[in-house]
Amino acid sequence: MITLHEVCKQFMQGDEEAHALKNISLEIKKGECVVLKGSSGSGKSTLLSLIAGLMQPSSGKISVDGKEISKLPEAFSAQLRRKNIGFIFQKFHLISHLSALENVIVPLIPENLPVHVLEEKAKAIMAQYGIVHKAKMRVNRLSGGEQQRVAIARALVNNPSIILADEPTANLDETLTRELIVSLEVLKQSGVTLLIATHDPLFFELPFVDRVIEIKNGEIIL
Amino acid sequence: MSFKPNFLLLDYAIRSLMRRFGKSFFIFFILSLLIFVLASVLMIADAIKLELNTTLKALPQITLQRFSAGKQSDVPLDRVEALLDIEGISAVTPRVWGYYYFKPAGVNFSIVGIDAYEEQYSATLSTLTQRFDVKLLEKENGMIIGEGVKKILEENYYTEFFNFITSEGKWQRVRIAGVFHSDLALESNDLIILPKKLVYGIFGMDESKATDIVIKVTNVKEIPTIVQKINERYPDMRAITQDDIRVSYQNIFDYKSGFFLALFSICAFAFFIIIYDKTSGLSSEEKKEIGILKAVGWSSDDILKEKFYESFTLSVSAFLVGIVVSLFYVYALQAPLLRNLFMGYSALKPSFVLPFSVDASMLVLLFLLSVPIYIAATLIPAWRASILDADEVMR
Repeated sequence: MITLHEVCKQFMQGDEEAHALKNISLEIKKGECVVLKGSSGSGKSTLLSLIAGLMQPSSGKISVDGKEISKLPEAFSAQLRRKNIGFIFQKFHLISHLSALENVIVPLIPENLPVHVLEEKAKAIMAQYGIVHKAKMRVNRLSGGEQQRVAIARALVNNPSIILADEPTANLDETLTRELIVSLEVLKQSGVTLLIATHDPLFFELPFVDRVIEIKNGEIIL
Repeated sequence: MSFKPNFLLLDYAIRSLMRRFGKSFFIFFILSLLIFVLASVLMIADAIKLELNTTLKALPQITLQRFSAGKQSDVPLDRVEALLDIEGISAVTPRVWGYYYFKPAGVNFSIVGIDAYEEQYSATLSTLTQRFDVKLLEKENGMIIGEGVKKILEENYYTEFFNFITSEGKWQRVRIAGVFHSDLALESNDLIILPKKLVYGIFGMDESKATDIVIKVTNVKEIPTIVQKINERYPDMRAITQDDIRVSYQNIFDYKSGFFLALFSICAFAFFIIIYDKTSGLSSEEKKEIGILKAVGWSSDDILKEKFYESFTLSVSAFLVGIVVSLFYVYALQAPLLRNLFMGYSALKPSFVLPFSVDASMLVLLFLLSVPIYIAATLIPAWRASILDADEVMR
């Protein structure tokens, strides 16, 4: 379960303080699929980063699976992120000089497990997404759809209970978008909590989406 | 931060280095070059110092030279007996020697005259007079030469004898009776030992005189007093003690060390440009990668470990390559170019082998001046980037 209680986030823009999020309180249940809608700059991505522990809130509390992530030391929040949270980025954010397999393994490297264990795990998830035959190829030689599937495989390699997706269809064509939606639906059916930040209207009417929350100027309005 | 080795992280670090091959190779090259130059110079300096110290130990305690109107002149032999009267002096030996310029090779040989009935003033000469029959040398007009001299003479087709040109312009044919090897290469590599009679003839010297006089004392602490007594009795003589020679050698060595300083400055400048470049920050691509790694679950510690592996691999391999190449350059190739910088003195020109001398503290100093500095210069900007919000560096 994810809980946010009166969360605020401010940034300094020059000498002025900009309020990215204002008093956000929200509760997302385990296995729920929630879509965060809002225009660019509304604060959706900041909210995802806060939940993932990638940044600290200026005030308020954020708990993930009962642990207050905003108060955890950096090493523990990284561990929580590695074990419980998978991140799907708008621009995939793959590491271009590594192969598809190596990209999927990257989140597991700090675990210091034997290579064959990591490869087995990574190949199993890549097989689910039909890219295991591309395992040895460098990711910058893969098509956009293949890169997206590598990014999803990387997000899922640790078998996370929460998936955070930031504008996951922004760089995809219609076919790839449909592929992604199918993947997300499968995840939802397997009990994974999904939090999707998007302004793509396609997501607002999907049958597996439980709630759509609108954010405007850093505040929840719906 | 625990340091249990993580081989996947090491593999990741090596791949990162290979990805930036051009930049990594440039840093590796400069760092290796820096280590190579510094290590070579220090090894040569150590080897020469070792050689000089050994030579100094073999030098006479006091050498007396005579000066007439500011010009060095030969010393009358009748002063030998008079010097023995001074209390504290245990032995007085007149020396007949000089430099002989061998024009075809452009080098100076040191010519020393010996007498079969005389006590030798240096360990090298004592050994030589025991090994070779000096009376036979006198009888057959023979000479004993150092290996360096032999090499040069052979290059000029003198394999059995050598024709000296005397001060009167006449030929003096001398047979090569023997060749000696010596550990004291600097002192004796250019040495030719001849019977005194022949040396007098070659240099056109009066046989009642010597080039200089060497003195042995019973108590080394008495040397300043004995020097004072000699100066009072013979105002035209100058006494040179072992310490004077040590200072003189040291001055020459310090002057040569100026070249080392110049080389060091150039290398250090190049190294600190790299360090400045590293500490001034990471490229946007590197920052973005750190952001991605944090987003997928790496902690700042993991990122620093990876950067540590990267910088450690690069700097330690550059250090080892630099040291190995300098060992090969100095001791296998005998340090061409740099060796001449340190020994550019014609009397020393006949070749000699640099004795092996590697100072462990020098290696440790070089390591500390290069590897930890480079690692720190890599870790500091990586640490700065790793404590930023991942969200910020990924954008």
